[in-house]
Amino acid sequence: MQPCYTFLLYLTKRLKWKQNIIACLILLKLCVPLVVKSDESSHFSKVVQPILQRYCISCHNPSKARGGLDLTSQATAMAGGESGHVILPGKPEQSLIMEVLGYEGDIQMPPGSRLPVDTINAIGQWIKNGASWPEGLILKSNTMASHADKSENTGPKLRSQPFQLSDEDRGWWSFQANKSPEIPAIPDHSIKNPIDRFLIHKLNALKLQQNGPALRRELIRRAYYDLLGLPPSPEAVNRFENDSSPDAWEKVIDELLASPHYGERWGRHWLDLVRFAETNGYERDGTKPFAWRYRDYIINSFNSDKPYDRFITEQLAGDEMPGGFDADRMIATGYYRLHVWDDEPDNTLTAEFDDLDDIMVTTGATYLGLTIGCARCHDHKFDPISQSDYYSLLAYFRSINPYGQHKTGGGGRGTGKITRILAPEDQIQSWQMQKLRKVDEIKNLIKTTTDQQKLKELDNTIKKLEIEIPFEQALAINEDPVKPTFIFRRGDAHAPTVEVSPAFPGIMQFSSAEIKPVNGSSGRRLAMAEWIASPKNPLTARVFVNRLWQHHFGRGIVPTVNDFGRTGESPTHPELLDWLAARFISSGMKIKAMHRLMMTSRAYQMSSRADNAEARTADQANNLFWRQNPRRLEAEALRDSLLVFSGNLNRRRGGPGFFPALPEEIHRTQDSARKGWLESSPEEQNRRSIYIFAKRALVPPILETFDCPSSTVPAGNRSVTTVAPQALLLLNDAFVRKQAEDLASIIFHMTDKTMPVRIEKAFSIIIQRKPTQTEMESSVEFLENMRERNLTEDQALSQFCLALLNLNEVIYVD
Amino acid sequence: MSTDQPQSSTGSRREFLWQSGAGFTGLALASLLSQEGFFNRVTLASEQLNQGVSIPPKKARACIFLFMFGGPSQVDLFDYKPELQKRDGQTIDNEFRRNTKTKAILQASRRTFARHGQSGQWCSDAFPNIARHVDKMAFVKSLYSDSFAHGSAVLQMNTGRILQGHPSLGAWLSHGMGTMNNNLPTHVVMLDPRGGPTTGPPNWSSGYMPASHAGTVLRTSGPPILNLQPPEGITREIQSDQLHFINRLNAEHLKSRPEFNDLQARIASYELAFALQSSAPEALDLSGEDKKTIEMYGINETKAVHPISVGSAPFGRQCLIARRLVERGVRFIQIYSGGGGAGGQNTWDGHHGIEENLAIHAPEVDRPIAALLTDLDQRGLLDETLVVWGGEFGRMPVSETFNTGGKPGGRDHNPKGFTYWLAGGGVKGGTSYGETDELGQEAVVNRHHLRDLHATILHLMGLDHRTLTYFYGGLDNKLTGVQEAEVIHGILA
Repeated sequence: MQPCYTFLLYLTKRLKWKQNIIACLILLKLCVPLVVKSDESSHFSKVVQPILQRYCISCHNPSKARGGLDLTSQATAMAGGESGHVILPGKPEQSLIMEVLGYEGDIQMPPGSRLPVDTINAIGQWIKNGASWPEGLILKSNTMASHADKSENTGPKLRSQPFQLSDEDRGWWSFQANKSPEIPAIPDHSIKNPIDRFLIHKLNALKLQQNGPALRRELIRRAYYDLLGLPPSPEAVNRFENDSSPDAWEKVIDELLASPHYGERWGRHWLDLVRFAETNGYERDGTKPFAWRYRDYIINSFNSDKPYDRFITEQLAGDEMPGGFDADRMIATGYYRLHVWDDEPDNTLTAEFDDLDDIMVTTGATYLGLTIGCARCHDHKFDPISQSDYYSLLAYFRSINPYGQHKTGGGGRGTGKITRILAPEDQIQSWQMQKLRKVDEIKNLIKTTTDQQKLKELDNTIKKLEIEIPFEQALAINEDPVKPTFIFRRGDAHAPTVEVSPAFPGIMQFSSAEIKPVNGSSGRRLAMAEWIASPKNPLTARVFVNRLWQHHFGRGIVPTVNDFGRTGESPTHPELLDWLAARFISSGMKIKAMHRLMMTSRAYQMSSRADNAEARTADQANNLFWRQNPRRLEAEALRDSLLVFSGNLNRRRGGPGFFPALPEEIHRTQDSARKGWLESSPEEQNRRSIYIFAKRALVPPILETFDCPSSTVPAGNRSVTTVAPQALLLLNDAFVRKQAEDLASIIFHMTDKTMPVRIEKAFSIIIQRKPTQTEMESSVEFLENMRERNLTEDQALSQFCLALLNLNEVIYVD
Repeated sequence: MSTDQPQSSTGSRREFLWQSGAGFTGLALASLLSQEGFFNRVTLASEQLNQGVSIPPKKARACIFLFMFGGPSQVDLFDYKPELQKRDGQTIDNEFRRNTKTKAILQASRRTFARHGQSGQWCSDAFPNIARHVDKMAFVKSLYSDSFAHGSAVLQMNTGRILQGHPSLGAWLSHGMGTMNNNLPTHVVMLDPRGGPTTGPPNWSSGYMPASHAGTVLRTSGPPILNLQPPEGITREIQSDQLHFINRLNAEHLKSRPEFNDLQARIASYELAFALQSSAPEALDLSGEDKKTIEMYGINETKAVHPISVGSAPFGRQCLIARRLVERGVRFIQIYSGGGGAGGQNTWDGHHGIEENLAIHAPEVDRPIAALLTDLDQRGLLDETLVVWGGEFGRMPVSETFNTGGKPGGRDHNPKGFTYWLAGGGVKGGTSYGETDELGQEAVVNRHHLRDLHATILHLMGLDHRTLTYFYGGLDNKLTGVQEAEVIHGILA
């Protein structure tokens, strides 16, 4: 959307110095057809009509005839406006429109920037040729027309223009105030969990049943992967299978929720949403300093069961929260620094607003499930968000110190103030005072020193003092003094129109968050955070509980988890969603309680098998949740599982990310091999995948091949593709093979060296069960085959373990 | 559904699986194959293609994109400007990048230009071999784009946006057209031996589309695809045993989960992987090509004219492989000439002397490209293959001193006017369309934004840029973005 306008602006500026040449060209070109054409009416429809539709008729139409001019029909266009005729057929040089388009006089159209020369010339050519207009043709705004055509067939209804909130808007389900619907009564009174009652109520209407419970082994595997992203140990499975106490299941859930690995699992889901990465992307792909602290903050927040409203507020306005300095809150604001950043943009002003838009889009999708970005250039085509709403929301972010500094050409512009010192303001000040004093002292010393060696040392001491910061730092927000915010015509940062104040969208005026400057900051973001985190916000809780549901049940109640607007899908169980949201709010937005609630439902514990023929026929897609959905492991869970199987997993938490060793050919896909990729010790490389350094230009193949999202846009749903390179990777990749070898080595060195015992051990570690008789036979046969192919015993075992790692049963959780 | 019905119908997929599946006796593949929806996941390629999209009559079925990374100089190659030649050495007011006004010295091309072919197209002596093919080529000399910087410009040429994170042209074609050969990737990228382009893999990314649309990097020496072969000591027999064993256990596992297409697709993916182990090396194996062909592509040409030059062999091999991939049904093949960080002479980024730059890079690609066009033509493949040549932008007609410490002879980036040529399927050969100004600096006649080039490529591949969409973030996204784009009709046959 931006590029074109950037170019136009550039062109207008350029025209001034080269006016003479261009003027000649214009004259020259007026005599030469620009487009090879056969007849005038086709010239009009192909060339002139799009120009008028795109640039003119939004203001010059029957309902809004600016300057008295209506350019939508032949009669009105030729009649002209308040300034008289604008088009004189055959005489472009006397037609006012040419002067206006050429930016030659007082009236300059379209406002903001001049059209490309050939566009202007095309109009000139058309006038010169008689300004013919196909009979009866009435022009309509072209973007509207194409959308309208589409919406007649499929898709959501296009909004009418001009923008106005309607009853339909106010009635849209996701904007309704949070209230707790009544839990349906169902015949089976033994079922207490409201989730089940909502689900069964719907199933009963179709005379369908919930699936029976999953096997305990399947259930505990599901729980481990859902909550930790790691496989259970054979012992844990065994224990659960043999635990006949009534609270056996609850004990498992509580144990897992208390595990520090829980935060690593759920933190990753959050990092997908905020498109977390530790580099900027683009040519230099520079490192974002201390981005790992934000990652650790997220993990710790989940582990400490931080209330969701506080979690929101800390990320959006941790620096503005009352209560004095808090390092965690400062780190949380790293949220604003995670986006891609071009250090050499063609236009720095445009780039600044591209970055702000990135924050707007991510904030809208992550917290509100809204496609706010659609209103950057025009009113949202489907949802009740006007362009004015967009810029009024942008005003809350407008004073963020930009990630990059303004600079033209040459590349490598410096970053803005993207870090903060993690210390209270008074400590920072006293350190700075001390530093100044020391520097002064040394400068005085320098004046009196003659020894060259000594001088050099003193110089170095000053340099060191100036560079060294005796505090921890974090990637974080810094605010500039309040800057005005304007609505940009067509989203063009160079075409400001009306100034706007911070305000929430008209459709969501449920509270008036007051803006109070705090801590030397505008306080705007805190107001926005409070508005988002408010229990009155109809979207926030719904969107979040839907995400919890999504990761426990395989899809959201609203399948389009980042879009609760008209272009999204509707909830399959709206009452259940509302009830969950209300429950979430009433229980203080505590997340772990919601896990417990969902996981103790019968629905969660159902088998995922589709052998219920009736239900399968009636609802093959499982829209009604009559069974659990089997799920494929995400890339990280897969890699981490391999490390668990081999016994190599290094469970160390937090701190800077590590760099897994990669094949040379992967390094060579960067413009400079190994750029920004360090070496990590083997132990470091065995840490969980969430700690892999998230470099935008170089994603390790095991993550990329298994659908790890691109970290440029908020990813609510990961895609699940099945392609041959995944099989190749799991068979031949050095890392995978290493895990198979190490697992084989453990088995090889067991005291019992009989083949069946070894086979059982491998099965037990990898899929936590005994092999069936057929599987045992196949395994024995395979191991014998390997020996016949001249592999040693341990090599054969290694191939065997590798094969088991590749099983569907490993990759898909029932 | 795939739009390429004959090739990607489930029929032919099944046929393939039958053939390779024969190697795995004991597995009841037959029963798997009779399941409806067996290939649902594998055919994901085009499942998002909107309903109701009408596909215009198809012209090309494959596209070879020859990407001259760094930005080749149009005024030294195809865009002949007598006025520039005349005014060599004159000082003009110039704009450096955006909004920086400087005096600059016009620098005429040191190349000799001549008209070539029946159509009399201009081509400089930098490309003596390519010059013989101008009658097959349509030149667009009036393109412009939005960025002066490599990072965003390469991204824009590949993905339509100057912002990182969008699907690449190859991903769009994969999404829109599906695959014609399950044994090979749909979207292939071959890099310069000196390294990848600026920003690297995001240039062939699938963006917000599924990862299966992303380009597969194909290496022309060593194993062609990452992890294609097992490590030393693991024979094909061992791996075959292994697959057999995995399949047996997976089939057992599937028995109690017959409804789950994903599990079945995953079983199929192992069959495909095994097939790929032979089909990919076969596609890259040039031993079956006759000596004359090898010679024609310059693959034996080891003599490098410049220390940085790699000679014509690497690009020649890649061009020949591209032809072989086209024959085997690969949709989109992108070959990069120039690699490693921009700014030096290792790419077409001729800041430091355009003559030296051309001396390095032009001979590396001249014979290979000419051979590719000849070869495709002789085999009757040119009609159904679209060949696209160009870089991320062009270069300035003035001598650059900014990046060179004052040393003249180089040229800076120029996104305001640059040349692309297209040849093959649906292209009107021997055409020159559009013009830059008299100095070759800025597109002025029949100007086209590069989104129009994208629209034209899609059109030539039988797709409509207005209806080829992918729904993401509340929007039907298009390769050409929200701005209207138009097909460049002037170069269509």
